[in-house]
Amino acid sequence: MPLDRRQLVTLGAAAGTALASGCSDAPAWNLLARRLESRPADVRLPRGDAVEPAARLLNRLGCGWRPGELDEVRAKGIDAHIEEQLAYEAIDDAPCSIRAARFETIESSPGDIFEYRKQVVERELFQHTMLRAVYSRRQLYETMVRFWTDHFNISLGKGDCAWFKTVDDRAVIRPHAMGNFGDLLRASALSPAMLVYLDGKDNQEASGADGPNENYARELLELHALGVHGGYTQRDVMEAARCLTGWTIDASWFRGRVAFRGDRHDGGEKRVLGQVIPAGLGDADLDRLLDIVIRHPATPRYIAAKLCRKFVGDAPPPELIERAAESFRASDYAIRPMVRTILASDAFRDPRASPSHQRLKRPFRFVASALRALDADTDGGDRLREWLQRMGHAPFNYPTPDGYPDEPGPWLGSLLWRWNFAIELASNGIPGTRVDLAGVARLWRADASSDPSGDWAAHVLGRRMAPDEAEAMRLLAANPSQSADRGATHDHDAPLAAALALASPAFQKY
Amino acid sequence: MGMTRRRALRLWMAGSERPEPRGVLVNLFLRGGADGLNLVPPHAEDAYYSARPSLAIARPDGRSDDRSKTAIDLDGFFGLHPALRPLKPLYDGGQLAIVHAVGSDDRTRSHFEAQDLMERGGAAGRNPGSGWLARHLRTRAESGTPLAAVAIGETIPESLRGAPGASAVRRVDAFSIQLPPDRRATFDRALHRLYEAEGGQLGAAGLQVLESVAAMNRLDASEGESHSGAAYPEGELGDALRQVARLIRARVGLEIACVELGGWDTHFVQATLFGSLAGALAQGLAAFAADLASDWNRTTIAAMTEFGRRVRENVSLGTDHGRAGVMFVLGGGVRGGRVIADWPGVAADRLEGPGDVRVTTDYRDVLGEIVAVRLGNERVAEVFPGHTVRPIGIV
Repeated sequence: MPLDRRQLVTLGAAAGTALASGCSDAPAWNLLARRLESRPADVRLPRGDAVEPAARLLNRLGCGWRPGELDEVRAKGIDAHIEEQLAYEAIDDAPCSIRAARFETIESSPGDIFEYRKQVVERELFQHTMLRAVYSRRQLYETMVRFWTDHFNISLGKGDCAWFKTVDDRAVIRPHAMGNFGDLLRASALSPAMLVYLDGKDNQEASGADGPNENYARELLELHALGVHGGYTQRDVMEAARCLTGWTIDASWFRGRVAFRGDRHDGGEKRVLGQVIPAGLGDADLDRLLDIVIRHPATPRYIAAKLCRKFVGDAPPPELIERAAESFRASDYAIRPMVRTILASDAFRDPRASPSHQRLKRPFRFVASALRALDADTDGGDRLREWLQRMGHAPFNYPTPDGYPDEPGPWLGSLLWRWNFAIELASNGIPGTRVDLAGVARLWRADASSDPSGDWAAHVLGRRMAPDEAEAMRLLAANPSQSADRGATHDHDAPLAAALALASPAFQKY
Repeated sequence: MGMTRRRALRLWMAGSERPEPRGVLVNLFLRGGADGLNLVPPHAEDAYYSARPSLAIARPDGRSDDRSKTAIDLDGFFGLHPALRPLKPLYDGGQLAIVHAVGSDDRTRSHFEAQDLMERGGAAGRNPGSGWLARHLRTRAESGTPLAAVAIGETIPESLRGAPGASAVRRVDAFSIQLPPDRRATFDRALHRLYEAEGGQLGAAGLQVLESVAAMNRLDASEGESHSGAAYPEGELGDALRQVARLIRARVGLEIACVELGGWDTHFVQATLFGSLAGALAQGLAAFAADLASDWNRTTIAAMTEFGRRVRENVSLGTDHGRAGVMFVLGGGVRGGRVIADWPGVAADRLEGPGDVRVTTDYRDVLGEIVAVRLGNERVAEVFPGHTVRPIGIV
């Protein structure tokens, strides 16, 4: 990320400060990043009865807002913000990169990464993912990264995936998350992590009773492209598996290097989804197969429907799915135009157009949006990973290839952990993570009401509290022992008020 | 979806008169490959004694003066290791059934492979990506409460892999709002107000969690840690079972609990370690049964291990990795007082591979029957894909 001269000067000054201060509890890189971030001078709180449009947009595009980001979107407008997020390459993300890109394993090659212990690789991948989710200004892009991470799910628990997933994140998911689906699919098919996770590396020409390994071929059709009702047959799975025989990973000298071994490839003619792939193409079978798969009519519909559910709600209008699929097809399977179509739709823009618009946040989104709302300074460290493990949603840990479920049912069991996380976060109990609630509240001092707890809720929820919520918040202030301790009847306990806002049903949804 | 505020409120108010609590399955994994031949020795078989001149458990024939060294006869053929004596009353009362020569078809004799396979509920070469208990939780008829599946320990075991609602906790105290008592009460009330007003699926789930937490607190206040007479042994297993008993007695909707006891990999001087492990196992289970009192009737315990051990003892007075092992199934609904085995024998010509007991009962038949009968899951074929469960009449 190129820095301009002014930033470099600021950076130098901040680095000096960091070194001089001995970087006691805030690590130097966080200090540097904070200097580079544009800090809001003052913040205007949402005062409407409904979630204001800017807040709704930031919830939908990414993980909510940090203080000041609502004001930015209000100033520039919904359309401009969407266009800016779609053209994510132009968004300066240097402060985020200072925090997130400092880990050695994140940039390691497939071979070099084995120099690091598994625990280190896993921790740094988690930190990188969490820090990008919290601090990136490319929030839509990060949402797409998470979407494809689920779509092309890989579990760190299998074989060498703990090492290769870092490479997959860098070389497969991130470069193509808003790029071309064909490039993404091809990169994924030849990703060392995927070759391990779905056994492609062991897939070779049938010999005797042993047929090719169908694992990847099946998920390619069922989960990655056509969808389970996409109209393929068991025969198509077997033929696709034959096309992919011979692709493997070098296990010795060039550990992690993907190679095609002609001697293990089935060179015969194949017939996939009604189309013939002639004999003798060798490693070119792969491209022919993926081309057939992408161009199958079920694929754009399946991908578009999944993406519509992500952005619009659990029951997106069929007409929107068709339009999104058409943008996808018409652009030769570019992802960005499809996303733009969805984001431009009434169903996305107007809460009244899709009654099922409020979705339950999965734990990762909950944790990241809570950290953002409280403007936490975090290293994305182990304690956050423990919380997500407890909530059942640690990144890259879902065992089966369908990826973490997106429907609400499985996640309702995580509420108690969400509440306790909110308490621990707001009361500064998380090692490696710091919040300065007084500092955040100072940002809206010009706009503050007589009810500081209500102001916190408004900032967190994107609207003023409903009467029920205000009543609940008053219960906190009415705590008798607390008022006895401090001699005030309407004492404001900022950590508890912020925690209750984060623990409230409204914050569990987006 | 679509729960009205009124219904959510009723659910909350009805806290103390909830419907009949569900069946609970406690899955106890004995990690390391527990030696079935010394836990439940085939004392009527001479070959057992010739293969294990030093380690065999003496016959219960009264010739030895020391009752602490002889097997406790069960059915004239099998006996119990003397340290398992606390289990004898449960056996005699028909609440403990033992399955012998049981296991999987995994022949790697690798702890990792064999445990992984059993916890996923698979067979060699066909190992599902998710755990068998996770699949049960996904396929059972009704949806569960937020505390439906709990593992006592640091991490979620493989058997619960893919069950997003499952929690791993060291102590069940973790199931509370983590604030000092006075502020906790206030925060509880505020949350209750919020989730009551919310309604719907989310509101109901929130109220249910608050009710579960309150039930745990009430139990602590009124009954203390455990029922009198429940003497849990010190150590990992006793602690874990005590935690599980608290959850069951609190009636917070627990359906699946996972606990484990390691240390069974007895390659070296087996006799020194084995007795105390077996003792902890038996005392823990007996204390658990006593602690549960009336809740024992809806509880089933399935204790299993990844494989048994070699019939012949080795030169360092230990035993090596073998094949078939033993399972213990306990509970109020168990048809116990029996050792169920299609016994293959331990004579040299009856063994497989390097000298191991053949597996004659598939472990999935035992677990599958429990899932179908005691947990009432009709979709047991999806819990153990590719396997047709043949009930052996254990529950």
